[in-house]
Amino acid sequence: MAILERITRNIDNRFWDPGSEAFPVKNRYTAGMAGQRFFKEIKENGKIFGSKCQSCKITYVPARIYCERCFERLEEWVDVGTEGTIYSFTVVYKTKSGKPKESPSIIVAVKIADGLLIHRLNGCSVEDIQIGMPVKAEFKPKAERRGGIEDIKYFKPL
Amino acid sequence: MRKVAIVGAGMTKFVRRALETPKELAYEATKTALDSCDLRLEDIDCVAHGSAPDAFDGIHQKGEYLADGCGGWNKPTMRVYVGGGTGVHAIIHGWHHIASGMFDTCLVVCEEKMSSAMPHAQGFFLTIFDAITERSLHPNLLWIFALEMNRYMQRYGYTKEDMALVAVNNKRNGLKNPASQFKDEVTVEDVLNSEIMAYPVSRLDVSPVSDGAAAIVLAAEPVARRLTDKPIWIEGVGWTLDTAYWGTRDLYYPRYLDKAARMAYEMAGIREPAKQINIAEPYDPFGYKALHHMEGLQLSPRGKTVELLRDGHFALDGNLPMCPSGGLLGVGNPIAAAGTMKVCELFWQLRGEAGERQVPGNPRLGVAQAWGDLMQVSSVVVVGN
Repeated sequence: MAILERITRNIDNRFWDPGSEAFPVKNRYTAGMAGQRFFKEIKENGKIFGSKCQSCKITYVPARIYCERCFERLEEWVDVGTEGTIYSFTVVYKTKSGKPKESPSIIVAVKIADGLLIHRLNGCSVEDIQIGMPVKAEFKPKAERRGGIEDIKYFKPL
Repeated sequence: MRKVAIVGAGMTKFVRRALETPKELAYEATKTALDSCDLRLEDIDCVAHGSAPDAFDGIHQKGEYLADGCGGWNKPTMRVYVGGGTGVHAIIHGWHHIASGMFDTCLVVCEEKMSSAMPHAQGFFLTIFDAITERSLHPNLLWIFALEMNRYMQRYGYTKEDMALVAVNNKRNGLKNPASQFKDEVTVEDVLNSEIMAYPVSRLDVSPVSDGAAAIVLAAEPVARRLTDKPIWIEGVGWTLDTAYWGTRDLYYPRYLDKAARMAYEMAGIREPAKQINIAEPYDPFGYKALHHMEGLQLSPRGKTVELLRDGHFALDGNLPMCPSGGLLGVGNPIAAAGTMKVCELFWQLRGEAGERQVPGNPRLGVAQAWGDLMQVSSVVVVGN
């Protein structure tokens, strides 16, 4: 063995502290050219927009500024409504640290036009979810919206 | 090996903070490069894209994330990452794809969005230092440059004023570049009076933090000749790594570049680079680094570079213009994109399309170089018309 096995129990592991200063930097992101407009529509008008590529016949949701397939600039924005269907889902029972959640949460991939939005599902029991089920976005009241994906509180069955 | 040409180029403006996402920045540069040679994405066989640390854009697996913005959807796509050297190294990577005979066309795209790091991208570099012997001192990159610059100045008897001449030269060139993030001319006094960050490095000796992207289109010889009357040939490539140990590395002479440059010149059949090369785009994140690299590129005798700079040898209308683009100091430094920008510049210069900053006398040969990793990698590309 090239590696000396000095610690046999994880709990014995120690690290050498390189100093008391915490890692001094964080990331802050921009929503981008498409994202700026996409989230403005959600925030101000409660609408979900896609962008359509005429030659590839694809409507991207969330809207983008270019078609990844043919690289044309996408100028046509389409109001795709606030309803979609469940493309896939998962039920989360444990927290990130591995403890049981108080109640399981349902995460859905909602197909809207040719895109997917990942979000929570509410108003539906774990036993009743089905792939292909129609769902609708439930927005926060306008005054509470901040221009982000959390402006949609959750999706709920139609 | 097959001959490989650059047939198109494009870049975004370099800015301090772009609204565009990293993907969108990459798209703008890529689309411009494709449009410049009337190609569509379907004409592209493969993609070689580059970006420096994931942490800058704040996205792990940044290469995979960026791919579709670089035209990589459903194509053979590979990311290159050798720190600051990425922008030139990605071109060598793309050159391999075509020279080998595997592909006829290749998009090379480099992107960096450093503004997402708050308060400053410097913070991400703490972990490049040795965890046991260095990190507890809370070092940052400026320390490395300061130690190198000081050693270089001491070795040849240079002053801070000598070093400031580079920022003045490059920033002056950059004023003529529409992609530059700067508007103001800078004097030697301005550089000397700017605050000292880590002696002897003052603020204006340092390139800025930037967002941007740059792209080129590579093609095999028969394809290139069909596409354009003015292909710019990749005549030589070279790259090497020096040791990562400070103690066994020269701080006043870039040995990491010496061998890479000789490798590229040998391939290009260049015996006397200082006489044969018409335009140099040495990597210039700091003023002294451009001088360092001119020596490593064998374009200036060691310890004589400041003299030649003072004599106008490296001016736009001099014998060997240095950084006609403006370089990192004059255009901006979105890390990987900055290296590719240097090759874009050579493409435009050698085709006579550089507008106001065109080097006179129909230049024939140019060399671009970038430097990075743990300050010990160098990549060199020689191009000719």
